[in-house]
Amino acid sequence: MKKVAIVGAGQSRYGEFPDKGIKELFFEAYKDMTASVDRGIDPKMIEASYIGNLGSGGFQLGNMSALVSEYCGLPHILTMRIENACASGGYALVAAIMDVLSGTHKVAIAGGVEKMTDVSSSKQKYWLGVSGDTEYERLAGTTFSGLYALIAQRHMYEFGTKREHLSMVAVKNHKNGAQNPKAQFQREITLEQALKGPIVAAPLNLFDCCSTTDGASAVLVCDADIAKQFTDTPIYVGGFGTASDYLAIHDRASTVTLEGTRRASERAYKMAGLTPKDIQLAEVHDCFTIAELLAYEDLGFCEKGKAGPFMEEGHTQIGGDKPVNASGGLKSKGHPIGSTGTGQAYEMFNQLRGTVQKPTRQVKNAEIGLVHNVGGSGGTVSVTIMRR
Amino acid sequence: MAHVSIPMYWRTIPQRYKLVGQKCKKCGHINFPPKGVCKYCNESSDFEEVQLSGRGKVHTFVLISAGGAPPEFADQEKAGGQYPVAIVEFDEGPKVIGQMADVDPKDVKIGMLVKTELRKIYTEEDVIRYGFKFVPITEGK
Amino acid sequence: MTIGISGYGVYIPKLRIKKEEYAKAWGSFSAAGVSEKSVMGFDEDVLTSAVKVSKRALESVPLTPDKISRFALASTSAPYVEKLLSGTVLVSVGMPNTAFSSDHTTSSRAGTEAMIAGFEHMLGNPGGKALVAASDAPKASMWDSVEHQLGAGAAAFVLSNDNLIAELEGHSSYASEYFGERFKPRDDSLLHDINVKKFSEGSLITNTTRAANALMKKLSRKPEEYQHVVIQQPDARVPATVGARMNFTDVQLAAGLVSKVLGDLGAASVPVGLTAALDASKVGDRIIVISYGSGAGSDALSFKVVGERKATPRFLAEADKKEYIDYVKYLKIKGAIV
Repeated sequence: MKKVAIVGAGQSRYGEFPDKGIKELFFEAYKDMTASVDRGIDPKMIEASYIGNLGSGGFQLGNMSALVSEYCGLPHILTMRIENACASGGYALVAAIMDVLSGTHKVAIAGGVEKMTDVSSSKQKYWLGVSGDTEYERLAGTTFSGLYALIAQRHMYEFGTKREHLSMVAVKNHKNGAQNPKAQFQREITLEQALKGPIVAAPLNLFDCCSTTDGASAVLVCDADIAKQFTDTPIYVGGFGTASDYLAIHDRASTVTLEGTRRASERAYKMAGLTPKDIQLAEVHDCFTIAELLAYEDLGFCEKGKAGPFMEEGHTQIGGDKPVNASGGLKSKGHPIGSTGTGQAYEMFNQLRGTVQKPTRQVKNAEIGLVHNVGGSGGTVSVTIMRR
Repeated sequence: MAHVSIPMYWRTIPQRYKLVGQKCKKCGHINFPPKGVCKYCNESSDFEEVQLSGRGKVHTFVLISAGGAPPEFADQEKAGGQYPVAIVEFDEGPKVIGQMADVDPKDVKIGMLVKTELRKIYTEEDVIRYGFKFVPITEGK
Repeated sequence: MTIGISGYGVYIPKLRIKKEEYAKAWGSFSAAGVSEKSVMGFDEDVLTSAVKVSKRALESVPLTPDKISRFALASTSAPYVEKLLSGTVLVSVGMPNTAFSSDHTTSSRAGTEAMIAGFEHMLGNPGGKALVAASDAPKASMWDSVEHQLGAGAAAFVLSNDNLIAELEGHSSYASEYFGERFKPRDDSLLHDINVKKFSEGSLITNTTRAANALMKKLSRKPEEYQHVVIQQPDARVPATVGARMNFTDVQLAAGLVSKVLGDLGAASVPVGLTAALDASKVGDRIIVISYGSGAGSDALSFKVVGERKATPRFLAEADKKEYIDYVKYLKIKGAIV
């Protein structure tokens, strides 16, 4: 399926920026994106913007996509805020793809932005952690750390997954993120440090959990027929798939599988005519270390229950046969909720074109990659396969 | 602000105070908490009300420390330390999440037998929200 | 028609604080004869305790909650000054919405007020059943010596005209005007007490002895005919003081003297003491209970034990389920209860 192309991608630095709000952050990503278009782009060609965003720190609730679009000089286009919790960006990408696929428009932006650090951490916790089942999961005394910990505990019980396996994910992603100039945290950690972190929601400790982050990203999606106007090396959308699931973990048949991921990836593979074996690298949703282990299984990279050994065997390191989260993942790069999905696409765009910012992170000869974005504890999942 | 309004909380009282579940007339499974369409057969909206016994076993659990506690429970964690939250599988079939009480966090195990008890969950808008928590079943009561 | 108690239950929250912890903090401990007391947990209150103890009482008969036609709830420390408290308990226990429910709240006499209300219902409704729950955890300012004695506990009784454990032989009451001893103005969340011991004692002795003597006269009973005597327990010495005026001995008071290890249970003091006396009694024994509420009033009720059935768990087993805390933990927990 070569109908849709991605011809540019940009991302702001991820971190904490008191001097930048959602408009400034998104503009930074937008400028980065337009600069990445090899032959440049006349902004008048941009017809639509699909922007992932959860809460903007509680500030701009209505019409935020129109707000950031006009700030970037795009006042009169089709614009839509896409919200599926932490999968907002991934779904914004899917929305832009479907727009172009349907023939409605030829050029669309898929982006995302989140401003999370404008309020105190206890105020943050008020509007985070309500994308699970608020009535029961939140009022049982959990936020997402607690929910993913419930999954981790069961995974360890059913499959013998070890505490060390979780920490190995953190160590790998910090190692990768240390080589990513746009990552929130650019600092390696040792396995010992990762194991000894203060407990947040046992068995998860501080190093198993991603942080709150400000950031924005944007990718330029266009009809493949006009891609060469913009670049000789466009990236193509091989396929995509999305699926939702019961919000409350207790409503799911299995506690240790994200049905959303399983079905979304199945649909993406089917559309692309590919299997998990064909995927050479992936950016997956590691909001918590256990989430990355689940992704290995539910994306079909390894069998259910075997993610711990799979991690231990080194397949997912840069240099391994299935590098995962060469960007540093959510853990090290940061997780500005609305932006994460399109930020993953930004990384994949550069990996597939060989234009990653620091060559030590560059996966060699990457042709087919997968981005995986999860909302909440799996209530929504989007998977997109990108290829040269 | 994450906010569960009074009417929103009040609507869940049959579940929180009395464990009222819905038995699907088509497939016989019990939905708890309620759904519009039975989540087991995904077909029927025809239910009869049943009351669960409150007895079940721990399916999985987490121990929440300060960093993992939502603001509504921050004081509880400060006063009493780490608290356990479990997904419990009721004897009648459905699973639901809830805090555990009257148990040392380090004694919580998957498979532990528990039953529900009414406790204070939290206070918002000056109204105390009560609901079920899970306590270990010991010999006697 | 013979009416009485056909089931009962007791619940004591498991946290305990010893008098030595108070002595460490304040230099002394003001509750005479009390060695330790019970403390309500962070996520409990008198309503959750009332639910728990009501279910125990029903199970001890056994009786399903839908059979209850009258519910009376007693507490001086409920979380609301205005809001129907019994509604929470009614719904949670599964009693019918159509049962007549009443809240009894403004003095530590409330427990026996609720019992008498339940018995009066039974007299007028032979087809019905009543459930009475007394659940209390009074609070005072940490600076006040009255705070030292305040504990937490709950008891419940199923009242019926069949399948009885204890028959009600009769009851008498005495009410009068006293003020300034233990009281709490509406806009205050903490108990006051003017701490004039002789004055307070005068009120206590006057009201209790008049109620109890009137009852024994009505029934033509002598004090020595009672195997168990349960008297209001702001501490563990008051019952002996009152008892002495009425020729009740320490032996008669012993089984019901729950304050020694639980403290002052407010409106639940006599009810919890009664469960302990019922546990210790044999068929044929007689029990007299004498409550007291400041402001002031007293109820006296006389029972004859006719059934061998005991509740589970027993009072002594309940009192033995404990976890000690220190004074700092005590402050943390108390500070957080609204």
